[in-house]
Amino acid sequence: MTIPFTSADWNALVPIAIVAVAALLVLVVDLFVRGYAPRYVSIGIGLIGGIAAGVVVAGQFGHNYNAFFGGFMTGGFTSVFEEIVLLALLGSLILYGAIGTPDRVAGTTALMLWSTCGAMLMAGAANLMTIFLGLELLSLSLYCLCGMVDRKTAREAALKYLILSSTATGFMLYGMALLFGATGSVMLADFVNPALASSALFWMGGGMFLIGLAFKLSLVPFHTWAPDVYEGAPLPVTAFMSVATKAATLAVFARFLYAALPSGAAEKLLLPMWIVAGISMIVGNAGMLAQHDLKRLLAYSGIAQAGYILTAMAGGSALGLRYAMFYLTAYTFMNLGAFAVAAVISNDGEQGSRLTSYEGLAHRRPLLATAMTIFLLALAGLPPTAGFLGKILILSSSVSAGYDWMAALLIAGTAISLYAYGKTIFAMYARPRHEPHDPKPCAPLAWASVVICAVAVIAMTFYPLTPSNILPLVK
Amino acid sequence: MLVLATILLPILVGFALFALPRDDRTVSRIAGTSVAIATIVMVVAGRDLEWSFRWLSRPFEAAFHFGATPISFWLALLLALCTACAIASTRIPRMRNFIALMLLLEGTMLGLFLARDLLVFALFWDLMLIPVFFGLIGWSAHPATAWRYLVYNFAGGLLLLLATAAFGVIDGSTDVIGRAGVHVVGAWAPWIFAGFAVAFLVKTPVWPLHTWMPLTYTDLPAPMVAVVGAVQSKAGLYGLIVVALAFLPEYVQQYSGVFIVLGAISLVYGAAAALVQHDAKRVVAYSSLSHLGLIAIAIVSGNQLALQGALVYMIAHGLFSAALFMIVGYVEDRESTRSLVRLGGLGWANPRLAGAFCIACLAALGLPGLAGFAGELVMLLGIYQAGYVWPSIVGLVAIVLAAAYFLRLYQGIMNGPELDDLPVRRDLTWLEGLAVAPLLAALLVVGVQPHAIMAAFAGVVR
Repeated sequence: MTIPFTSADWNALVPIAIVAVAALLVLVVDLFVRGYAPRYVSIGIGLIGGIAAGVVVAGQFGHNYNAFFGGFMTGGFTSVFEEIVLLALLGSLILYGAIGTPDRVAGTTALMLWSTCGAMLMAGAANLMTIFLGLELLSLSLYCLCGMVDRKTAREAALKYLILSSTATGFMLYGMALLFGATGSVMLADFVNPALASSALFWMGGGMFLIGLAFKLSLVPFHTWAPDVYEGAPLPVTAFMSVATKAATLAVFARFLYAALPSGAAEKLLLPMWIVAGISMIVGNAGMLAQHDLKRLLAYSGIAQAGYILTAMAGGSALGLRYAMFYLTAYTFMNLGAFAVAAVISNDGEQGSRLTSYEGLAHRRPLLATAMTIFLLALAGLPPTAGFLGKILILSSSVSAGYDWMAALLIAGTAISLYAYGKTIFAMYARPRHEPHDPKPCAPLAWASVVICAVAVIAMTFYPLTPSNILPLVK
Repeated sequence: MLVLATILLPILVGFALFALPRDDRTVSRIAGTSVAIATIVMVVAGRDLEWSFRWLSRPFEAAFHFGATPISFWLALLLALCTACAIASTRIPRMRNFIALMLLLEGTMLGLFLARDLLVFALFWDLMLIPVFFGLIGWSAHPATAWRYLVYNFAGGLLLLLATAAFGVIDGSTDVIGRAGVHVVGAWAPWIFAGFAVAFLVKTPVWPLHTWMPLTYTDLPAPMVAVVGAVQSKAGLYGLIVVALAFLPEYVQQYSGVFIVLGAISLVYGAAAALVQHDAKRVVAYSSLSHLGLIAIAIVSGNQLALQGALVYMIAHGLFSAALFMIVGYVEDRESTRSLVRLGGLGWANPRLAGAFCIACLAALGLPGLAGFAGELVMLLGIYQAGYVWPSIVGLVAIVLAAAYFLRLYQGIMNGPELDDLPVRRDLTWLEGLAVAPLLAALLVVGVQPHAIMAAFAGVVR
C-alpha cells in the first residue's frame, strides 16, 4: 500500500495552502493591531499571500502534480485557472482597500482568501468530491461576503444567493450521486467508459450535474439571481464573484467536457448546454439594454460572456479550450478594470455603480474615461482590445467545430450588446446633464489596477498568448 | 518600417495632442497639418515597401502585414491629401480634440488601406468607426446620428469579422490581400461572400443600406465629413475589389445582377433625392450615394476598363466631394446656415469662394477635362463593353441629373438675390484657399492624366 501523502501531493497543494494560511494570519494579526490601520495590515497580508501563491502557481506551470490519488491535479490547465482566480483576488482586494468600510476588514479579507481557496480547488479538482468541496468553500464564503455591509439590498442579495445557490447545489449533488451510482466511482477519469453511454443513470446524473454548473455560470434560464446579487453585494465582492465563480465553474465544466465523457455521449449530453449558452448570449446582451446600474449591467454582460466562452468549447477541440482560456483571461482584465474604474469614482460608498455617475466623466476625468472606454470596448469586442481577438478566435473555433449556429448567435448577441456598452460610453462623452459631486481625488492602488488592466487588455491583442501544454486534464 | 511609421505617426501624434492645453487652437492645428503632410510624403516614399510581423499561427496564420498595393496606394494618397487639406482650414470649437480625432481617423484608415492581412483589415475597419463616432457625439446636435452610424457600420463590421474568421479557417491564412492565386471554394464560400458583400455595401453605402449616410454626413463637422465622405466611403468599394473580386470572383459574377440592380437604384434614388434637398450638405451626401452606386456597378461588371474607370472615379469622387464638403463648411461658417432656400447671391461678394465652388461642382457633374469626366467615361464604356447595356443607360441618365442638381446647388448658394438678414462676411481667406487649392489642382491633373491611376489595374485583377 502506498502512503497517500507523497511529495507530489504537497507540491500540488502549496498555492492553496499559502492562501489559506494567509487568511488565518490575517485573523490572528488583526487581534494585535487594533486601532492601528488594521485595514491596510489585513489587506496587505492578503495581497502578499495572493502574490506569493501566484508566483508558486506560475512556477508549477507545466509540471503535473497530483494529490489524493488524482483527486486534485495541477498542470498547465489548473495553473491558468488558478492564476485567473488569484488575479480576481488581488484585483478585488485592491478595490476593497480603496473603498471598503474600515470595520470588519479582517473578516472580509479572510473570507475572500478562503473563497479563493475554494475556487482554486475547483480549478484542479478531478473527482466529484473535490469539486463539491471547492464549490462549497467558494460559495459559503461568498454568501457571507455578500452580506458584509449594512445595506438592505446587501442582506437581500446574500439571502437570495444562499437560497437559489443552495438549490442549484442540491441539483448538482444529486447529479453527482447518480453519476456515482452509474459508475461506482467518483473519479472523473472513470466516466470515459463507453459502456456508460447507454446507462440512463449516467445521463440523468450528467444532466443534473450540468444544471448545477449552468446555475453557477448564471446561464439563461438559471440567470435571474445574478443581477440582483451583483447589485446588492459590495463592489469588491461583486468584482471577485464575477470572475472567480465563473473561472472555477468553467474549469470544472471544461474538465468534465474534455476528460470525463464517454465517447459518443458528449455531443448529445452537451447539446442542451450549448443551446443554453446560445440563448444566454442573446438574453444577457438584451438584458443590458434596460440597466441603470453598472453592477447589473456587468451581471447581464457576464451572462453573455459565459455564453461566449462556452461557444469556444463547443465541439470539444483542444484549440477551443485554449481560446476559451484566452478569452477568460481577457474577460478577467476587462471586468476587473471596469470595477476598478467604478471604485476610483466611488467615495467610500457605491456611487461608482450608478450609471448616472458616468455622465460627463470625460470632461471631469479624461484619463479615467479613456480607461473605461477601453474596458467597455473590450467587453463589446471592438478592436484594438483583447475582446476583439478573443471573439475572432472563438468564432474560428466554433465555425471549424461545426457549431456555426453558435457563431451566428454570438454575432447577433454582440450586435445587441454594442448598444448597451455604447450607451455608457456615450454618457461619458456627452455633456453632463447635471454637475455631479466631485469624486475623490486619489486612490493610487485602484488607479494602478485600472492602468494594469487597461495595458493588459490592449497588449493581449497584439501578443495573443494561449497556453499550449494544458493536457492531460485527469489521471 | 516606413510603412508602419506611416500608420503609427498620425495615431501617436493624435494621442499626444491630448497633452496640450485644453483650449489650444494653433499648435494642434499646425501639428495636425504637418503630420498629415508628412504622411503624404511617407505614403509616396513607402510605395514599394512592406512590413510584416507575425500575429497568429493558429487557428490560421495572420500577420501585421502592411504595404501599399497599386490600388491602395492611390487611396492612401487621397486620404492623406484630404486630411491635410481638411485640417489646415479647420475652424471649430474644442479644436484640440477635433484635430486629434482627425489624426486618429487618418491613422486608422491608413491602416485599413495599407493592410495586407484580412484580419488586420477587419481590425482597422472597426477601429476607424471610433473617431467618427466621437466626432458625431462631440460636435453634432443629434446624438441619435452617432448611434445609427455605429450600429449600421458595426453590424457590417461584425459580418466582416465572421467572414474573415471563416475565410481564415478555410484558407489557412488571412495574409492574402494583394496576393495572387488565393481562391476560396467549398460549401462555406457563398456565406463568406455574403458576409463580405453586406459589410462592403453597408459601408459604401448602397440602397437600401444607406439610411445612416445622409444623417451622418449632415451632422459631422465639415472637415471630418470631407474625409469620411471622400475616403471612408471608398473602404467598401476597395474591399469589393481586393477581397470579393480577387478571392471570390465566381460569386461576384453569379450575383452581379443583384449588385447592379442595387447600384442602379442607388444611382437614381440618390440623384432624385439630391434634386429636392434644401440642405447643401444633404445634396452632396445624396450625390455621393448616386455616384458610389455607379462605381459599384462598374466594379461588379468585371470588365478591365470599367475597373480602371472605377478607380479613377473613386479618386475623383474623393477629391471633389472633399472640396464640396469643405466649401459648404466655409459657407456655413460665414452664413450660419446651409439651406438653399435662405442662401443666395454669395458669388457677388465672395468671388474666390464662388470660383472654388464652381470648379468643384463642375468636376462633380463630369465636365470634360476634370477628373470626374475621365472616370465616368471610362466606367460607362467598360460597363457597356461588358454587355450591361441598361445599367450604362441608367448611368448616363444619372449623369444628366447630376448636372441638374449640382447646378441647382451652385446657383442656390452663389447666384440669385441675397437675403438681407444674413451677415456679409469676408471672402475665402488665404488659408482656406490654400487648403482647397490642392484638391482642385489634383482634379485637373487627374482629369487630363488619368493613365497613372489606371495603370494600377494592369495585372492586379483578372
